[in-house]
Amino acid sequence: MSQAPTNATLAPRRYGAINWIGLYTLYRKEVRRFLAVGTQTVLAPMVTTLLFLAVFVLAMGRSVDLVGGVPYMEFLAPGLIMMAMTQNAFANTSSSLMIAKIQGNIVDLLMPPLTAFEITLGLALGGLTRGIVVGLATAAAIWVFVPLHLSHVWAVVFYAAMASLMLAQLGVVAGIYAEKFDHMAAVTNFIITPLAFLSGTFYSTERLPDFGRLLAHLNPFFYMIDGFRYGLIGHADGSLWLGAATLVAVNLALLVANYLSFERGNRMKP
Amino acid sequence: MSVVPGSPPSNLRRFGAVNWIGLFALTQREARRGLQDYNYQILGPVVSSLLYLAVFHLALRTTGGTASNADLLNFIAPGLIIFVACEKAFECAAGSFIFDKHERIIADLLMAPLSSAERVLGYLGGCCLAGGAVGLAVALVTLFFADLSLYSVGALVFFGLMGTMLHALIGILVGIWAEKWDSYAVVHTFLLLPLSFLSGLFYRVENLPETAQSLVRFNPVFYVIDGFRWGMKGTGSADPAIGAGILLAVNAVLFALTYVWFRRGYRLKP
Repeated sequence: MSQAPTNATLAPRRYGAINWIGLYTLYRKEVRRFLAVGTQTVLAPMVTTLLFLAVFVLAMGRSVDLVGGVPYMEFLAPGLIMMAMTQNAFANTSSSLMIAKIQGNIVDLLMPPLTAFEITLGLALGGLTRGIVVGLATAAAIWVFVPLHLSHVWAVVFYAAMASLMLAQLGVVAGIYAEKFDHMAAVTNFIITPLAFLSGTFYSTERLPDFGRLLAHLNPFFYMIDGFRYGLIGHADGSLWLGAATLVAVNLALLVANYLSFERGNRMKP
Repeated sequence: MSVVPGSPPSNLRRFGAVNWIGLFALTQREARRGLQDYNYQILGPVVSSLLYLAVFHLALRTTGGTASNADLLNFIAPGLIIFVACEKAFECAAGSFIFDKHERIIADLLMAPLSSAERVLGYLGGCCLAGGAVGLAVALVTLFFADLSLYSVGALVFFGLMGTMLHALIGILVGIWAEKWDSYAVVHTFLLLPLSFLSGLFYRVENLPETAQSLVRFNPVFYVIDGFRWGMKGTGSADPAIGAGILLAVNAVLFALTYVWFRRGYRLKP
């Protein structure tokens, strides 16, 4: 009479090694989240990038000579595009986790049948997409004023993707760590912005004093900007292969760290 | 000795023309709120100002510009000081209102026995103080890297006050009008940041093309920065007296508008 239903539909759903539908859903949620407020997430970086371009070109004056064989404006443009990409990739994942934690809807991320790896990947790819979209938008805006050439397409694509991915993953780290908006502001103000500003976006590290150059070359942000700039103007300050290896290594390390955080539920599960 | 029904009870507290205690309490609350978490409310702007100085210094040094490096830093430093003070004043005013509206504690302000003018003055006082404190902190740190002279203390105080007041008033208006944090970000990115960045903060407006030079004269923030710099260095791009007149007029109009909005309870009362 009261037999347990043997209905096959009640059996747990089975996935292969990866829950593709779940992964895609999380990714889509992350992308739609920033596209819904496109004015702030895409248009705003375009405006700020153009402002920086105007300010630096006007402040340096016409007296500035060639940097690395190209006019200062063309030297500056790739750095500004890269800065916009990285800042936005970071903002996407960090704000997503931060707000979810504060509003309590982080359970929506932890309850679905997603493995720690899938969560990490979905979030990171969402941030990567934001970085690329912002990169394309700012490049289009800058292109109106500065001629951009694609000298080495592979470098442009590789460094854009690696840099966005790295900052998206750093955003996950920050989003997991931070418990208040103040913590997030501290991470942005005291770590991310200084690393981005002092990475050779606005100046060439070649003419820094030896110690300054050593410091600059210890900053992973330097390699992102340098490699990306190489793709656009064909000139690099540092070693491209060292840069590529550094970025791949940092990305892998962050992937493992974030995987472990989600696996353990650091600061997310009671 | 009979009490007329409906007349106010005899123990009703009476104020003179101005409720000084209430005004002071509101001013104090706003100033404290603007500076409560000093390690990022004050240190954040200090760090970002230093980054701007460092980046301009290195950009000029490594690109071989002919403009004198010390000249550029001495030129930028006063602009940065007033810029961070103004940013803080705006953030303080707009942030307070949007936060209070969201948390539904705006009633605390509306119920208190304060007249509309006292409310406007309380917010203005608090936010100008917070802005001034941040500006002072940045000035102290900047002293190590640039020569800050004092040409006219009166002008510094006047233009400092006018600048923070202008931004605090815009902040109050935005805070009253905005329903979401998005509107705050939109006004900041698309209005205030361009007004500040394109107003001679980092470069001499004489470097601009002619049309832009005449356009900049319609930007009140230009007079704030130029006047403040005049107070330090004794030279400027515009006549400080004209700037003072324009700022007084703009602030008076914005003050009147804010007063009317409070008086009517626009977007604040049901």
